[in-house]
Amino acid sequence: MNHSSALPEPDALREALREVIDPEVGVNIVDLGLVYRLAYEDGVVVVEMTMTSPACPLGDMIADEVDEVLRRRLPPNTPIDVRLVWDPPWSPEMMSAAARRHFDRQWSA
Amino acid sequence: MTFSSAVSRLPLLLLGMLALVSGVLAGLARLAVDVPVFAAAQAGSHGALMICGFLGTVIALERAVALAASGLSWPFLGPLSAGSGGLALLFGAPLVLTQFLFIAASAIVTAGSALLFVRQPAIYLATLTLGALSWLAGNLVWMVAGTLLPAVPWWLAFLVLTIAGERLELTRFLPTPQTARQGFAAIVIGLLGAATLSLWFEPAGLSLFALMLVALAAWLLRHDIARQTVRQRGLTRYIAVCLLTGYVWLAVGGLLGVFGGLVPGNQWRDAALHAILLGFVFAMIFGHAPIIFPAVAKVKIPYHPAFYLPLALLHLTVFARIVGDLAPLPVMTQAAAIGNALTLLAFVLTILVQVFSARAR
Repeated sequence: MNHSSALPEPDALREALREVIDPEVGVNIVDLGLVYRLAYEDGVVVVEMTMTSPACPLGDMIADEVDEVLRRRLPPNTPIDVRLVWDPPWSPEMMSAAARRHFDRQWSA
Repeated sequence: MTFSSAVSRLPLLLLGMLALVSGVLAGLARLAVDVPVFAAAQAGSHGALMICGFLGTVIALERAVALAASGLSWPFLGPLSAGSGGLALLFGAPLVLTQFLFIAASAIVTAGSALLFVRQPAIYLATLTLGALSWLAGNLVWMVAGTLLPAVPWWLAFLVLTIAGERLELTRFLPTPQTARQGFAAIVIGLLGAATLSLWFEPAGLSLFALMLVALAAWLLRHDIARQTVRQRGLTRYIAVCLLTGYVWLAVGGLLGVFGGLVPGNQWRDAALHAILLGFVFAMIFGHAPIIFPAVAKVKIPYHPAFYLPLALLHLTVFARIVGDLAPLPVMTQAAAIGNALTLLAFVLTILVQVFSARAR
């Protein structure tokens, strides 16, 4: 990588986003499969994420939380661009195995 | 004008709150409680203020905030129209103006929801669209019939389908069987068919409508993810408790309706309508305000176990009201209705305390 060594790896940032929880289901947005892409582009941290439903009004708020979590782990003034995208639409198959087991186990309990 | 900032959304929310306060007082006036003159004058508009002025504004605002994430701002005309409709009622504007504003609001919410459905044809988005369309249908029926009584089942369908559509969306986290999804679709079609039937065959249509509400309550109690999330902690569990207890009231209201409780003039009507509209709809609002309000107004509302207090009061006072209605003990119904109003006040205060304690930190 040709970024400054002070910048965390994208994978580490993605892990950090597990702090952001969907309050309705109590599962983090990474395991729910809502984070489509996280990468450095010309020094900007670009996050492409979605919501489970385009009718859900929480998008902005969750994007703000993502911004906040990333900011704590990045050098001050690192530009962050959190984009809400709707293509492809979220589907249950995008959940991590852990998330699916979480719901499945409770389902059969 | 941009509505992306909280500053511009807040007046819309305040219009909704104004309709709520005057609507609640108007409701008390109907039960012969002494209320300020401006509210007593609205006794006949209690339902329109609560459903179109308050819930219509809030739901339209919620949908507009969601659509704003796709870069659209015209959906904010929905809550603006609905809120203005409430104001028009309060200021005694010609009824046709009020009706026009609510028709415009519901048409905008329908268009916004339909747009989402076209982009992503899913049953839950179809359900939300049909909910908005039911609101539009109810408003048109109100205008054509000249009385709001025949609009009531449509307005109920608006709220019930809006909530059910949002719940159906969340069942996708679970391996819900195909037959259950077909059952859901059948209930939605049955509900709308019954509402249509009620326009010509009132008692039969309303009983069938109520039967569909019972079926929907059973479906939600069986398949809603709340059955799983209720085993979690904190806010997630609180929301689930609100939902599950709300479904019980939907079933109770539906059952009363099956035996004629939704028919105008029936002695159980107050009980049936308030089991559904207070017990079910407001339990849903109590559960979701802590996450929807921050999204709309951009303020933080940290969870606090004290949230259970207004919820318990809600169930207690709704129960008392239904007992008062069925007994019948008018004094009890009246006292319970005052309790219902105080419960809403307690809820708003709980939320405000949390907002300000978060700010102080």
